Amino acid sequence: MDKNPLYKGEGIKELIPQRAPIMMVDTFYDATSDEGFTGLTVSEENIFCKDGLFTEPGVIEHIAQSASAFAGYNAKANNLPTPIGFIGEVKKFKIAKLPKVNDTLKTNIKIISEVMNVSLLTAETKVNGELIASCQMKIFIKE
Amino acid sequence: MEKQELIAKINEVLAEEFEVEIEDITPEANIKSTLMLDSLSLVDMVALIESEFGVKIKGTEVSSILTFEALYDFIYERLA
Repeated sequence: MDKNPLYKGEGIKELIPQRAPIMMVDTFYDATSDEGFTGLTVSEENIFCKDGLFTEPGVIEHIAQSASAFAGYNAKANNLPTPIGFIGEVKKFKIAKLPKVNDTLKTNIKIISEVMNVSLLTAETKVNGELIASCQMKIFIKE
Repeated sequence: MEKQELIAKINEVLAEEFEVEIEDITPEANIKSTLMLDSLSLVDMVALIESEFGVKIKGTEVSSILTFEALYDFIYERLA
């Protein structure tokens, strides 16, 4: 994840359908066949911030959009339109601490299984190398 | 692993994961209705089979595996 990101800032709009103020991914670092690496630097204006902290719903939304960005990256590689996905289920969500304003979240999405239009994935989010959140999530991709 | 041993193991992990009675899992029974799977939880079964037995079921293949017998045969053939 140390090399130059593949997409950053406004370029993320090519991968995900969300737009400000609900965009919760600002960097797409890299991808393999079943993994994606994304990031978000928490701004003070972020709608999920409260008292200087990025709240749990924001972390979940960031993870979901990270999965969306990964799906968008794969779609783009295959000359397909950006898919629209919905969170189907969140399981085993653990959060160790809430990120602060100006922290940069770095998230690793790993696809465990895909059946028809449902993807099962695991996600790990780190701040400064420290694991702060993890979960298992199902994303339903609208056809 | 012998096929009967494999079947017993499959039944055991499915019954535990999806919280059904192991006696309800019979070769001719329908997987989705027995395990009460919907489109979201079907992916759980596919992930479970892969993690427990190392057998990957593709999305195109899962729709043709309707009964437990078909599932046993699918896994057994992939492991052979």
